[in-house]
Amino acid sequence: MAALCHFPSAPSSPRLFPLSRLLSPVSRASKQPQHLLLAASPIENSIPNASTAGSRLRCFSSSPNAAASPVTLPSDERESRSLGDITRPDFPILRQVVNGFNLVYLDNAATSQKPSAVLDVLNEYYETYNSNVHRGVHYLSAKATDAYEEARTKVATFVNAMDRREIVFTRNATEAINLVAYSWGLSNLRSGDEILLTVAEHHSAIVPWQIVAKKTGAILKYVGLTKEEVPDLDLLKGLLSKNTKLVVTHHVSNVLGSVLPIDDIVVWSHNVGAKVLVDACQSVPHMIVDVQKLGVDFLVASSHKMCGPTGVGFLYGKIELLSSMPPFLGGGEMISDVFQDYSTYAEPPSRFEAGTPAIGEAIGLGAAIDYLSSISMQTIHNYEVELSNYLYHSLCSVPNLHIYGPAPSETVHRAALCSFNVEKIHPTDIATFLDEQHGVAIRSGHHCAQPLHRALGVTSSARASLYFYNTKEEVDAFTQALKDTIDFFTSAL
Amino acid sequence: MSSLSSSSLRILSPKFPSKPSCFLWKSLSFLPSRSLLLSSPISFQPLPRSSPLPQPLRAQPQQREEEQTAGVDLSLLPPKLRDIIVLFQSVSEPKAKYQQLLHYGARLPPLDPAFKNEEHRVRGCVSQVWVRAFIDPEDAAAVRFEADSDSVLTKGLAALLVLGLSGSPAPVIARVPPDFVHLLGLRQSLTPSRNNGFLNMLKLMQQKALQLHADAADFKDSEALGPDRLDTNTKDEFFEGKDPILGGKANEMSTGPDSVVNGGRNSPGYHASEVEERLEEDRDAVDMTPISPQAASGGRRERMIERLERGLCPVSLEVEDISHLHASHAAVRGSAGGETHFNVRVISREFEGKSLVKRHRLIYELLQEELQSGLHALSIDAKAPSEAQSS
Repeated sequence: MAALCHFPSAPSSPRLFPLSRLLSPVSRASKQPQHLLLAASPIENSIPNASTAGSRLRCFSSSPNAAASPVTLPSDERESRSLGDITRPDFPILRQVVNGFNLVYLDNAATSQKPSAVLDVLNEYYETYNSNVHRGVHYLSAKATDAYEEARTKVATFVNAMDRREIVFTRNATEAINLVAYSWGLSNLRSGDEILLTVAEHHSAIVPWQIVAKKTGAILKYVGLTKEEVPDLDLLKGLLSKNTKLVVTHHVSNVLGSVLPIDDIVVWSHNVGAKVLVDACQSVPHMIVDVQKLGVDFLVASSHKMCGPTGVGFLYGKIELLSSMPPFLGGGEMISDVFQDYSTYAEPPSRFEAGTPAIGEAIGLGAAIDYLSSISMQTIHNYEVELSNYLYHSLCSVPNLHIYGPAPSETVHRAALCSFNVEKIHPTDIATFLDEQHGVAIRSGHHCAQPLHRALGVTSSARASLYFYNTKEEVDAFTQALKDTIDFFTSAL
Repeated sequence: MSSLSSSSLRILSPKFPSKPSCFLWKSLSFLPSRSLLLSSPISFQPLPRSSPLPQPLRAQPQQREEEQTAGVDLSLLPPKLRDIIVLFQSVSEPKAKYQQLLHYGARLPPLDPAFKNEEHRVRGCVSQVWVRAFIDPEDAAAVRFEADSDSVLTKGLAALLVLGLSGSPAPVIARVPPDFVHLLGLRQSLTPSRNNGFLNMLKLMQQKALQLHADAADFKDSEALGPDRLDTNTKDEFFEGKDPILGGKANEMSTGPDSVVNGGRNSPGYHASEVEERLEEDRDAVDMTPISPQAASGGRRERMIERLERGLCPVSLEVEDISHLHASHAAVRGSAGGETHFNVRVISREFEGKSLVKRHRLIYELLQEELQSGLHALSIDAKAPSEAQSS
């Protein structure tokens, strides 16, 4: 980590330390800290509701002795508090009443909620040192620049990039993919070159390549699904050829919940001389992603899906690749010298960061990474595997319901999300009723994956997607609400 | 924006509104899933729950409801739609409202699969919705609709529109304000957006109705009807509709096969943005309003005075023919010499306690016959005696 701070007060995230201190003991299932936690949060078994005002919950202190006398719970001694229970208090937005019901937010694949730690950092930025970066020499500007660059370093460390210059801040993953498409794609693809994608790609990973293919004469090829409803890896291997210049693939599918073996795909692709662009939007927030270990050439992710603010995302690209790429957007910051009839460009990452960036937001993303790291991605991942199985099996208990994607097993891990359809009931009806009559937020539609839905033979689906602050109780509430919803529509028809 | 989101979260906990937050949330950047909420075709206001909600949470929903329903101009709604509204209002329990909606949907006759194509598809619905409009075979002035959807809630909404609007003339349909949906107790977003299924459904139906109307008028045109056909210039009308002195244009509900519809709109009851929207839409739509040959031959002012006096027992009444001011206006061309635009200034105890909308409606009802026979526009100044200045 670059040592950047040389001011009296560096941007801080006060709530991280107590959390990590409290969490690591819990993960070893020790009793003492649990009482601490119980004292800190008055919420008992049920989903916390708005009547217990938010501010009182955030009384985690750095010293264990500061907690009030422990509250004895009537619950089972063996029952430890889940990661969801522990982290919920950090997310003020979750404590609210929607349509007369406690909010059950299960749309995390669309966007995640932000902990107070991140919100405080954002606020602190705007309140104390907002200033344009890389430009000024004055105190505020230096502080902002340092914080911004520190955020870049945090992202680089988070994904284990070799060099911090390999992280380009963009508006989101979609913009990052477009960057690769317009910059690398337009200058490297020729007529007859092939781009390999899966049918399960998000529109952001498809459309820019359609545009570039049209301009360059390249051809798009798609890998279909197996009957287990995962991309067919044998087919992928078969489609790779000396003409393949780029493989664009998701890491974790936002609909199927499946995880692809990126390391293998990279090996196969590099063997034929193709580059690999990985859409890691659904993986980076939920598990450890190591770009060096995976060997990917490009990787994209969005901040807002990983507890960070909207408006910022990043592209990881191998430094030698980025260095060879022409600019995407032109403007200030990405130049070296500007004359009337031409300009010379800056080195990456600046070359790809035209104009004033989302400074506060990038710093907020850094804070989100700090927060996630304080819990540890491994802990988050382990909890989500549990939740994922719980969700999957809960939904299996609902009759006439089909879940898309592979069934979980010893070898097959699913992300903590399920896209599903119930026979004879439209997913929009389900989602509407769940929201209106139960305060449960899920998503219905094509989830920006129309080709995938066509491949599955449907027009739309419903999707519940979880994050580490969701709990089994919420999954129970959802399942119950879903059954009630299905009853309503079946009886009404 | 991030700082916005963080500061609004500060005021979050006990005071954060619940139901109306659905609208507030929609405009905040960290809202989880915009498209879910916006594209969700309908939502209901739940009965107050016995959960421990602090006072402010409860107060706001009602206020919001009042704001929303206050602006709806009932006189713009076809009678069948008004009946449906009454029915929904009599059902208070949300689940029962849903069931009612589903019943409407079930009643909808199936749509011929031939019409389930792009031309008839409503954009911006997460579910698939198709709408078809055709001229009523028994009444050339009326438009009928058919619709279908793979989502039962959307189908229910579509059914409301089909049942409520079928049989009305195109211009009437075109003027139905989308906010009537608030009267049903259905919390439905009316933010124009590509994802707003309900709004898009209504708009498509209105567009199709006007298109049919224009086609029919063209057809009649080619048969050389004669001077009775009005050549309305919608642009002028709309600018008049925005006349700050409450320029109210005559509005008419179709009551029978010979009903005549006049152009124009009633500006109270619309939000400014909706007026803008309508202007945009209707500028594109060709609005030909045929007028029946039964034009009044003089004496209108007297008849109006007589009817208003009978109906309102006014303290003071002034009726002024200002048709000459609109002589160049295309709407006037072709109608029998003037008597199309009037100023009405009336002070009456009948208006005491009534909203502006109700007052205008009262006057329109009294003047129905005139409105059906060539009266185009009324500029109304309706006061209760307590409000009247010494004049």
